[in-house]
Amino acid sequence: MTPALLGNLSVSLALAFSLLGLALALLAYLQGDGRFLRGARALVLPAFLAALAAFLALEWALLAHDFSLAYVARNHSTKDPLWVTLVTPWAALEGSILLWGLLQTLYTLLASRKPLDPWRASLVLAVLYGIQVFFFGVMATIASPFQTLPNPPQDGVGPNPLLQNHWMMAVHPVLMYLGFVGLSVPYAYAVAAMVARRYQTWVEETRWWTLIAWGFLTAGKVAGMWWSYEVLGWGGYWAWDPVENASFVPWLLATAFLHTALVQQTRGAFKAWNFAFVTLAFAATVLGTFLTRSGVIQSVHAFAEGPVGPAFLGFFLLATGLGLGLLSRVSREVRDTALFHPFSREGALLLGAFFFAGWALVVVLGTFYPLLVEAFAKAKVSVGAPFFNQVSAPLGAGILLLMGVGPLLPWRRPRKEVFRNLYLLLSVLALGTLLGLLRGYTLGASLAVGLFLYNAAAIYLLAREGVLARVRAGLSPWGFLANRRRVGSLVVHFAVALMGLGIAFSQTYRLESEKTLYRGEAWEVGGVRLTFQGVRALDEGRRFAVEALLGTGRFGEVRPRLHFYPQMNSPLPAPKVIYTPGNDYYFLLMDFDREKGEWASIRLIVTPLVFWMWVAGALMALGTLYILWPVGRAEEARGVSPA
Amino acid sequence: MRWVVLLLAFLLPALAQEAPPPDLSPEVFRIARELRCPVCQGESAAESNSGVAVEMRRIIAEMLREGKTEEEIKAFFVERYGDWILYAPPRRGVTLWVWVLPVLGLLLLGLGLFAYFRPKPLPKELLEEAERRLKEPPR
Repeated sequence: MTPALLGNLSVSLALAFSLLGLALALLAYLQGDGRFLRGARALVLPAFLAALAAFLALEWALLAHDFSLAYVARNHSTKDPLWVTLVTPWAALEGSILLWGLLQTLYTLLASRKPLDPWRASLVLAVLYGIQVFFFGVMATIASPFQTLPNPPQDGVGPNPLLQNHWMMAVHPVLMYLGFVGLSVPYAYAVAAMVARRYQTWVEETRWWTLIAWGFLTAGKVAGMWWSYEVLGWGGYWAWDPVENASFVPWLLATAFLHTALVQQTRGAFKAWNFAFVTLAFAATVLGTFLTRSGVIQSVHAFAEGPVGPAFLGFFLLATGLGLGLLSRVSREVRDTALFHPFSREGALLLGAFFFAGWALVVVLGTFYPLLVEAFAKAKVSVGAPFFNQVSAPLGAGILLLMGVGPLLPWRRPRKEVFRNLYLLLSVLALGTLLGLLRGYTLGASLAVGLFLYNAAAIYLLAREGVLARVRAGLSPWGFLANRRRVGSLVVHFAVALMGLGIAFSQTYRLESEKTLYRGEAWEVGGVRLTFQGVRALDEGRRFAVEALLGTGRFGEVRPRLHFYPQMNSPLPAPKVIYTPGNDYYFLLMDFDREKGEWASIRLIVTPLVFWMWVAGALMALGTLYILWPVGRAEEARGVSPA
Repeated sequence: MRWVVLLLAFLLPALAQEAPPPDLSPEVFRIARELRCPVCQGESAAESNSGVAVEMRRIIAEMLREGKTEEEIKAFFVERYGDWILYAPPRRGVTLWVWVLPVLGLLLLGLGLFAYFRPKPLPKELLEEAERRLKEPPR
């Protein structure tokens, strides 16, 4: 047995199980026969095990340095440390698809365990199996991780050095895939709901899945931002790189869906919106993969060109067509008939969802615009960060504004006392903005201060309301914490407001400067006094490192580095970041005197409030986790009011 | 120290150096961030470490020292590389639409929402039905 044999066999088996499962699930639905459904359910576990075996085969090949596999030869080297070897399966295209397929089988396995009426259960399984067929079909044909080489090399080059520089690389892709794949379950339920014409309950039934997908997407995005900040050496966390955009779009649409789903759960309205948003969110994950893997767009993330792009494009069109086609078929039946007051909870939720969807639209437009212009007008244009920042700022501000007032509005129509709260909040917003202006901040940054305080005040009001209601009813105020949905969403909302503040300040007030220092020379910049004390070289086996020794006084000695990899012809800077609650100090070694080490070019980037963005990211994950935390049966039986 | 320098020199023959790079003020980076690095994959001239980007930063610093304004510096690069070098697409010609479309799209969304929230009169049949039932004698 070789890894290649095991891998190919497992991929084929996973494909066969998925195809068979798809056929059985469809038969179960069409024939209305439970035996077929039992058969389809029974294949879920074997498909997962086969996918797992394929994944382990790839790990085995990497650990055994089996360079007869093309994937191993291209992405692995005997000098890689163990952790790099273990995460190499998702360092390139074919392995990533394998990981995606594995996670899909895992989610199918978990989703199939949930009790559901046989009609929809067959349909859900059919959709999930269909997705599996696509992934394993791609692996078995055009992007096999187990393709062998006729003349295996003695050693490979290892994964892209950018991916080896930080442990975050072990985490970020897996989190993203867990999020992407998580959206497949609500999508499958939505398709089943539209086919079986049972429109109401699927949202509640997939609430957990939607939240978990959203939580993973959020954590994955923040992890990626942090990786970009720590590794790419440009002192930023978000470049509006096409691939960042491509994974931002599903997040935006998932957020929109999360909020409109709430209205369907509570009021039974917005059914059509939910079908549309969940379809688009799921399809956007596939579109993102098309963008990254087709080679139409070049970026840090884009692995390789190949026939994979068209396959993903076709799958994207299929997924979108299925969801939206079904929606148009049933649109008369899911139309909202009730009247909505714009100044109500559902009004705010829909408006917010539209902000998110509009944002997604703008990001898609900006990302594809250069491609469209090149295709039709034969001109080359760039649409980059300045564009995205300018169009995103008003949308983000609108979302922050809605986020504060929305949860305070009652369902259906506003009550009198709401207006008192609203005036209070608006005066906090005005005062905060004024305060910022008086301190000399720009209008945008001042508005961010105002919006942060406004949201903090809104959250305080909401928490107070919840606690007081309990006290009035003679209950323990701590019971408020048992309202997980409310408390968790408040934590997440606070984190979003904090993130907004961090983004506004770090984008507005960023100081970046570079200077060549001679040994012993001091440089006063951005509130730091740097003295250059010399360079030092280290041989680390798979790479050379050169570090500059910088005295900073306040932060002691810092040592930014340059890494020289044999497979790269230019060195990679490894920044040294000093995090503080006020400013982040980001030290980079850009160049140095190779003859005598007499001088070094140092770049310093000082950015305010970035620290709080990572805090906000952690809070978002924790808030989501708090909502998802399994509730004990006793607590569930007692019932927690949704208000 | 010496052996490392030797080794590095052996490893990196392409990176033979002459003079140390020039000092760059925050202003240089602010302008460079708006310009594309022509040989990179989605990086601005501020971020990239490629030779072209380093040279671009040097030119920007030079031009700033000569008292050139931001517009003049950008115009210089546009003349060399075309509008493609600008990360903020100019608000004219073929890239005007990328600025106009989001505004138009949001307006349309807003109009759609407005229509959605507007009180819709009940269908006539339903009203007539209700009226008829009201007039019916209670059973």
